Amino acid sequence: MSIADAEALDAPRPRARGRRALPYWLLTPAVLVTLLIVFAPMLLAIGTSFFELVLFRPKATHFIGLGNFVALMSDPVFWSSLWRTVLWIGLTVPAQMLLGLVAALILNQQFFWRGLARALVIIPWALPSVVIALMWRWIYDPNIGVANDLLLRLSIIQTAVPWLADPGVALYSIIVTLTWQGFPFFAVMILAALQGIPKSQYEAAAIDGASAWRQFRHVTLPGIAPVLATAGLLRVIWVANSIDVIFVMTGGGPGYATHTLPLYAFVKARQNLDFGYGSAIAVAFTLLLGVFVAIYIARTMREVER
Amino acid sequence: MTRLLATACALALGLTAANAQTVRFWYHFDNPENPMQGLVDKFEAANPGIEIEAENIPWNSYYDQLYTALVGGGAPDAAMVKLFAQPRLVEMGALEPIGDRIDAWDGKANLLDNLLELNAGPDGQRYYLPIQYVVLYLYYRPDLFQAAGLEPPKTCEDLRAAAKTLTTGDTYGFGFRGGKGGWDQWGAFALASGAELAPGRLATPGAIAGTQMIVDMFREDKSIPPSAPNDGFQEIIGAFKSGKTAMTIHHIGSSNDLVAALGDKVSAVPVPSCGGGQWTSYGDESLAIFAGAEDKDAAWKWISFLAEPENNNEFVKATNQLPVTKSGSENWTGHEKRFVDATLASLPFAHVLPQTSATANFVNTEWQTQMQLALTGEISAEEMLENLEAPFE
Repeated sequence: MSIADAEALDAPRPRARGRRALPYWLLTPAVLVTLLIVFAPMLLAIGTSFFELVLFRPKATHFIGLGNFVALMSDPVFWSSLWRTVLWIGLTVPAQMLLGLVAALILNQQFFWRGLARALVIIPWALPSVVIALMWRWIYDPNIGVANDLLLRLSIIQTAVPWLADPGVALYSIIVTLTWQGFPFFAVMILAALQGIPKSQYEAAAIDGASAWRQFRHVTLPGIAPVLATAGLLRVIWVANSIDVIFVMTGGGPGYATHTLPLYAFVKARQNLDFGYGSAIAVAFTLLLGVFVAIYIARTMREVER
Repeated sequence: MTRLLATACALALGLTAANAQTVRFWYHFDNPENPMQGLVDKFEAANPGIEIEAENIPWNSYYDQLYTALVGGGAPDAAMVKLFAQPRLVEMGALEPIGDRIDAWDGKANLLDNLLELNAGPDGQRYYLPIQYVVLYLYYRPDLFQAAGLEPPKTCEDLRAAAKTLTTGDTYGFGFRGGKGGWDQWGAFALASGAELAPGRLATPGAIAGTQMIVDMFREDKSIPPSAPNDGFQEIIGAFKSGKTAMTIHHIGSSNDLVAALGDKVSAVPVPSCGGGQWTSYGDESLAIFAGAEDKDAAWKWISFLAEPENNNEFVKATNQLPVTKSGSENWTGHEKRFVDATLASLPFAHVLPQTSATANFVNTEWQTQMQLALTGEISAEEMLENLEAPFE
């Protein structure tokens, strides 16, 4: 007879049922809130995407089925925004991860002001996005910004570059800003993982004559790999959806040069008040991002089971 | 005991709140010296039983918030509104006609001529009570013009040539607003030849030439700062104030700020004529009552109070614009005379955009996107105008 069976025999039945229900009771508030503020609006957005719904023409609202999605397929701005979204995620997340890794490795060394450095590195992450966006707008200002001033003094450029007004560099300029904002997240996560690697593994590797690079390659990297994967996936989802910094820095311009899909959905719905089309863009993007979300959920499930 | 007292207090508060009529009012002032509370106190003292809840809404999202609130709930009873939004608000059925109230109002005869006509609704009804106005004109630096032996420009060609001459080193000839809200500068170049925001009336040779001139000044002459595609109000005024640009187009609202920075080294003239005509933007601001307002009489009392000479002058001091009453305009000392003169000289050819529902998108997003595409060379001036014309069909 196992211990659980013995307990089941000892305890009166109603109490056992109460205990079995307890997790559900405890989870209920969280589930209710999620249903209310995540799933309900999501279903509403999916519903809205099947309608012609322009806020200032309430009488003209009608069901058009997949009409918005068909229009989306032949909308050049949708496709160019999708490509920019791919660039946006594909450059920002790896750059943040790399910078975060370097920062974590440095912060894991012994030096006398390490505590202070660890606190300071959090600052970009702790600042509100709007403050960061405004700050970097000044940094990039073609007339008075420090970016141009420094590069001119170092003779790297010959004339001031309008970083945010030139469609060729505007998106990359914002990617640099977002990289700066997001790297502390990786730095902190990786630093925590680094401290979880037992010293004995390094000692063993050193006795075997492994170089610093081989120690990093075969001890450090495997040690932090799960954190890199989980943090990376999480970050892909966050970066993909982040529009605040772009919106404040350029508003999506010049032209469409810094339009990403979530921003395009926002502009359509909130500024042009075309909620039907805006929702269709958001739903289409959610489906695309769903792949990443599925991988993330599968991963967390596996971690939980382990 | 304390609990009992608290309940009694809450009850008493609730009762007073139930007796008083509350008027919720939205406005947008970006001036930190906000006289609104003073006006509210004065009104409430004169109108016991009416409470004013005045809320300052940030300008950048003012209309986004207003439309959403009107549809989704939480809309104010009355608000500050601009003409470009009127057709859309009428289409939404959101506005309360106030023509009869204006006709019965003592202050009507004291309003400046023509303002009520300019503000009339697209369906002939009256929804808007004017509260302030401005007209766009050309700011220039007399000292720089004199040093270069130039006269303030009378035509587009003069302006382009002057801008080119004045572009030296760190100074640019003309500060162009390519970001949000710049359509009213562009209008002086593109709409002066008679082009209009209407089907088949925008992509005209005159408008193409005017638009092309701006693009050429930016791309070839380089007499417009390279940041122009993203520049908004802050940037063009900041650049002019710091001596970065020698000319720009804006209204009297920024004159006090510019005089504080530049003193006598700033003056103004009407915008130049382009393609044989002159066009400038009449910048309006009115007050409206919404159809969903609970107590429309109280709301009308409040908005008409703001349009009375003394209160109106107090109101426009905060926005740096011009009063709408005749008695308030006489001996107006809120601005230096040369800027008032330039405004009055510009009134004869001041226009508002057509009152159609497509205008709001043009003002909010379309113009800036298309102008930026043209400035950065991704589309031609003609394509830009064709793209802008399409939604009006």
